[in-house]
Amino acid sequence: MSPEQTSLAFRENTVRALKDPALRAAMKQATDTFGTKRADAFAPVADLEALRDRASAIRDDVQANLPMYVDRFVASATRAGATVHRAVDAAAAREIIRKILADRGAHRIVKGKSMVSEEVDLNSHLEAAGMEVVETDLGEYIIQMEGETPSHIIVPAIHKNRRQVGKLFADRLGAPYSDDPQVLTKIARKALREKFLSADAGISGANFAATDTGSLVLLTNEGNGRMVTSVPKLHVAILSVEKMLPSLTDLPAFLRLLPRSATGQTITSYVSIITGTRKAGDATGAKELHIVLVDNGRTEILAGESRDILKCIRCGACMNVCPVYRTVGGHSYGWTYPGPMGLILTTLLTGMKKSHPLVDASTLCGACVEVCPVRVPLVDLILGLRRRKVRERFSDPRERRGMEAFGKAAASPALFALGQRLAGAFWPVVRALGGKDVAGRMPAPAKTPLRRRLS
Amino acid sequence: MNGAERVHLFLENAAKAAADTHSVSEPGGLLSALGRIVAIDSPVYCPGVTELEKAAAPLFAVRAADYAAAAVTVEEVFGAIAETGTLVCSSEGGRAVQAGLLPAHHVAIVRRDRIFDTLDDLFAAVASVPPTNLTLVTGPSRTADIELTLAIGVHGPEKLDIIVA
Repeated sequence: MSPEQTSLAFRENTVRALKDPALRAAMKQATDTFGTKRADAFAPVADLEALRDRASAIRDDVQANLPMYVDRFVASATRAGATVHRAVDAAAAREIIRKILADRGAHRIVKGKSMVSEEVDLNSHLEAAGMEVVETDLGEYIIQMEGETPSHIIVPAIHKNRRQVGKLFADRLGAPYSDDPQVLTKIARKALREKFLSADAGISGANFAATDTGSLVLLTNEGNGRMVTSVPKLHVAILSVEKMLPSLTDLPAFLRLLPRSATGQTITSYVSIITGTRKAGDATGAKELHIVLVDNGRTEILAGESRDILKCIRCGACMNVCPVYRTVGGHSYGWTYPGPMGLILTTLLTGMKKSHPLVDASTLCGACVEVCPVRVPLVDLILGLRRRKVRERFSDPRERRGMEAFGKAAASPALFALGQRLAGAFWPVVRALGGKDVAGRMPAPAKTPLRRRLS
Repeated sequence: MNGAERVHLFLENAAKAAADTHSVSEPGGLLSALGRIVAIDSPVYCPGVTELEKAAAPLFAVRAADYAAAAVTVEEVFGAIAETGTLVCSSEGGRAVQAGLLPAHHVAIVRRDRIFDTLDDLFAAVASVPPTNLTLVTGPSRTADIELTLAIGVHGPEKLDIIVA
């Protein structure tokens, strides 16, 4: 079987996306807005570069000592009353969570936004076990109702416009049609409030985990994260292992960087710091807290040359500025994480055989590197994957042979000079074979090569 | 930063985050501010535990025993942060942090000597033994999930009043 038949259909998806005017308008509006808001939010921050250096150094340390930090977190969280589970892969994560819920007779589940739960495809597994899983982040609620997956890691329904959402709510919730986001938000508030109050369990993700205190940190704006983690008596948190921060006192740097990078806010409306279960005398906190730490390939990434991607704090800034993402949208990438960080993580987690078309989804312009708050070397990582793609023979054979031939010619002055002379002589043939699309747009070779004119 | 500058910066940043801000200097000022802010017939949840809450509680005609059934929560919170205009709610001392989440209107009283300059100052103070739940609140509940258009009051309060006392 050729690799093309099992790989992500990135090129086919982009062709479809480019022909969808509603999608392109939504993406342009959204990413333009994000760019302006982000710049405004960072403008008053003194010493931004020093702040980025500090955050980057902390994430370097976490990545360099990850097994130690994970062990430390497990010990601290356990001491605070949580039960910590280690899931080696997606199947293990799904099954651990299903069992926690099933053993306690939990059927009605409210869920906060969690990208790793999308990565391991948690919802369908719980639904197959007869549970009702309701996404409570407004964007996630919308796409769950539509049967879609997120197209952005921060704003999952970024690809939809207000009229599409209004029609969806009218059809599915029986609400009067409106295209006013404030009215639509109120409709969702009412429908979801009942779900929160009657839920048996809440499932959340986490933005960070502090290894000294065993605390989970969640940044949210809507309040659904607070509901999910504090209203039901059972709370299950799912997070990937690289979310560690050495200490809770490291958090301020990230509270200054993440919301500004993600949505252009100084800070999110809510930051919840949850340390263990409800203790004697407490009136807040789940009675039972289960924390599921998902590896699912991270240990392997850590051992390889692309390990710096584990520094990523999932702000989404890299996708908002990426000319490829802005044009084709998140669904074109075909898996959980889109944009520059997404194409890297997807390739590493799902393998080159499946993801090699994504490795081309970058112009290498470097805009992503300029905005990354923790200095993930995204362009270097993409170049590394491109080299791997060639090495593992997933690149187009014609491109590979062409490049190999050019490589040989360019390494020998005599061959190069011969090539230059031949190029001129054969140019009409090249144009005829290449057709209008390729060679037809290229300028003909100069009669006298630049090299000779300069010497 | 001196005390007055700190209060000023906190109120300025809280207002930027769409909170309605008030500053009062004596007990009578607190009661008259609450009288203006809270609708007279609203069911109010007020824990009535701290001195300021004890002073405020008799003001409300309709007291909700349970915050889930209340239209308004009036409570004193753990502290605030000037840098970001943030309220700090803590579960320490048996406080129900979710009381400020469920009702549509949250009225938070913060004592002026409980305002931290920066996020670092707060975490330096609480990080060694964090409470079960520490929630930072900046402005009302909000979303921009539909066309990045701001909508207020998703799952938490749509109105946040802050009284510095």
